[in-house]
Amino acid sequence: MAKRSTVLKVDKLSKSYGDRPIISNFSLEVAEGEAVALTGRNGAGKSTLLRCIIGADRPTEGTVEVLGTKVNESNPEIRRNVATVIDDLDFFPDLSVVEHLDLLARAHGLDDPDELVDEVLEEVQLVPQSGQFPGTLSSGQRRRLALATALVRPRKLLVLDEPEQRLDVEGVAWLGKRLAVEKQAGLAILMASHEPTLVEALGARIVRVGE
Amino acid sequence: MSKARRKGRLGATAAAHNAKIQSEQAAQAAAAEQERMEAARRAEPPPEVHLAITTNVNDLPQHEVDERALLGLMEDWRNGRADRNIWQALGDAYVAVLATLMIGAMLVSSVIRAQSVAADCTTAECTTGRGLLPWAATFGVLSFTLAAAKMFGPVLASAAEGFWLMEAPVSRRRLLTRRLVNALMIAVVLGAAVGALVAALTGSPGIAVLMWAAAGGLGSAGLVAFAAAEQGAERTWLISVLQTILALAAFAALMLVVGTAAGWISPILNRTATEQLTVIVAGLGLLGVVAGGLIAHQRMERMRRARLVSGGSLVSSMQGAAFALDFGLMRDILVTRQANERGHVRPTRGTTKGLRALVMRDVQRLWRFPRPLFPLVASIVVPYAVQALGLGRLTVPISAIVLLVVLVPFFQTLRVLSRSKGLARTLPFTTGQIRSAACVVPGVLTVLWAILATPAFLGIGGAPMLGKNPTMAAMTTMVTAAAGFIAAIRWVSARPANYQAPMMATEMGAMPPGLMFNLIRGFDMIAIISLPVLLGGSPWISLALAFVCFTILRTGGIDAEELAAMQEENKRLMEEARANAKGGKPGAGKPAASGGATKAPPEKIKVTRTRR
Repeated sequence: MAKRSTVLKVDKLSKSYGDRPIISNFSLEVAEGEAVALTGRNGAGKSTLLRCIIGADRPTEGTVEVLGTKVNESNPEIRRNVATVIDDLDFFPDLSVVEHLDLLARAHGLDDPDELVDEVLEEVQLVPQSGQFPGTLSSGQRRRLALATALVRPRKLLVLDEPEQRLDVEGVAWLGKRLAVEKQAGLAILMASHEPTLVEALGARIVRVGE
Repeated sequence: MSKARRKGRLGATAAAHNAKIQSEQAAQAAAAEQERMEAARRAEPPPEVHLAITTNVNDLPQHEVDERALLGLMEDWRNGRADRNIWQALGDAYVAVLATLMIGAMLVSSVIRAQSVAADCTTAECTTGRGLLPWAATFGVLSFTLAAAKMFGPVLASAAEGFWLMEAPVSRRRLLTRRLVNALMIAVVLGAAVGALVAALTGSPGIAVLMWAAAGGLGSAGLVAFAAAEQGAERTWLISVLQTILALAAFAALMLVVGTAAGWISPILNRTATEQLTVIVAGLGLLGVVAGGLIAHQRMERMRRARLVSGGSLVSSMQGAAFALDFGLMRDILVTRQANERGHVRPTRGTTKGLRALVMRDVQRLWRFPRPLFPLVASIVVPYAVQALGLGRLTVPISAIVLLVVLVPFFQTLRVLSRSKGLARTLPFTTGQIRSAACVVPGVLTVLWAILATPAFLGIGGAPMLGKNPTMAAMTTMVTAAAGFIAAIRWVSARPANYQAPMMATEMGAMPPGLMFNLIRGFDMIAIISLPVLLGGSPWISLALAFVCFTILRTGGIDAEELAAMQEENKRLMEEARANAKGGKPGAGKPAASGGATKAPPEKIKVTRTRR
């Protein structure tokens, strides 16, 4: 079996807020077609770690590389390769659901994304809401839209922070299956989760944070 | 080690040992007790719990609710929690009070000076222009009053009142009457202040200032009462129609000012007729207050709680943003609210890809929401009007401020992508590329505005500012347009005050360092760019400054962190290129570069190697 190449490499990452250390000396590698689930109690630093990994926060020490490029949130190459679903995602108040997905797909250079956008909309069950503004969606529907934004664009690494939040039971089951397919197709997945069924469905390697 | 110290250490060790034994014994005893209780629980069936309602709320004596007493009780509770009286609070904030008094005194002095200067101009054009300008301002204020009244209610209640008070069998009318009175009072004060200020600035005599104050104040109050009556009837279309008519009237009055000053028309406007008209407006306003107030009072009982609370929560959100002096956030709240009220649209798909998709989405947005175009078109009159009033070089900053205001709605993409890093992260572009794309549509509109405003700077509406030189006029227009455009970029994209950073200690409590800069956001750009022209310098200096400001704003400001990261990445790439040139495998273990901003193109590396 050919060795899979490393997509994400975290090397001795530490993060402190003032004198309070949150993460100490954390190292991790995620290869293509591999899924890693970060678990740990509330406040263990999972979200902070993910924010450092995607470049939203700057680590106090250590480095993060995606496909050999040091992570910098503003680097378009990083933006092109890393799809994220974390809590700081906001939407245009005056663009409808389908327009968000269409814009994103086109911005990533897809020529004719209509079919893909429709498929993803159907998959996340937002077809009836396709013309609605995000502000009128329920919190669960907004989460589905956030997940859809990661599915209509090219990606090599998918970073998710508790993606099961606000999803109903069916939604969590769908997400597990969908992520498993993505993993099978060679996508590297890094996710923080408290949902054992999701981690199990994905067959993810579990990494405990804060221990 | 001395004997005493050794003895002390031994004593401490013994004490720790004893404490450990005691805690172990206590834990064992607790475990035994727990076990004993568990055993006892297993042996005995659980006791039956008898739930009985001893006090039936329906059996309690019920009285008629006195709403005034209820409100009084709430006021007492609130006052009871206060730990300072108003004088103590003012004493603590004496710096703010003194500053307000000083600024107030300066403003009054400036107004009086401006009044005497304006009164000196006694030509027919000046007199007519001065007579018409208060009309434009008053109609504008009345239109704005209606818009604000419709947005907030005008009768409103806080979320807490909606939940706790309106749930009870109270008379909504009695609860809300005071709210209507408050709204009317605010309208009277603000309307009167604006009416008086504009009348004073245009050189009107004291009695005329009072009449304009009455017209502005009572007119605004009458419209608020009318809006309240419509709120009770759950109607808004009539308010919208009236608002549009008043806005058109304001625009027409402004056009008359320009036309008169330019000598295109000479409307007959005598002082007596103006005074009579102000009396009529004030009278109509008073009638509106009485009639609208009475109708609103009648309809208050059936005002929906959701509608009342919606206005209340809007006020509290706006208050929160106002305390942070974040006017951008205030606008965001309004935009989101409007979008949510509309709810949905007929979706339109994009047409191109890459960065152009962002630009095309702005075009589609403009097609869908063309309303901001009207104020933009109307603002073209401003440089003509300012020139007509003989304000000379002040035309540049005044027109730029107006342009800033009317351009902001076209920067929606820039606003959202500056505010939300999460959304910007989903797009595969640099900050500079995103900002440039988001500036294309507003930039084109600004150029059109500049073309149409150029005749004003040539002296069509009044005396030319810099002589009848078309080149200078064109350049001054460019300075004005650039100042407004760049100020709008700054206004929408500036970072809000950082409350996580170390605070400054002030007389008014802790404050984040950047808070006060929120006030001058945008205006700082206008000052920097237009100052050389104002001081009589060459417009070229202003244009050079505009270019520098735009370059900095386009890249999202000087981000030291980003620059350091880019420098490090470039260093790594250089080392990699050197290693490759020495015979290593090019790009070993690395994916092919796909056009990233910090990645050196592979072709260049090849060229270097060939040279060596």
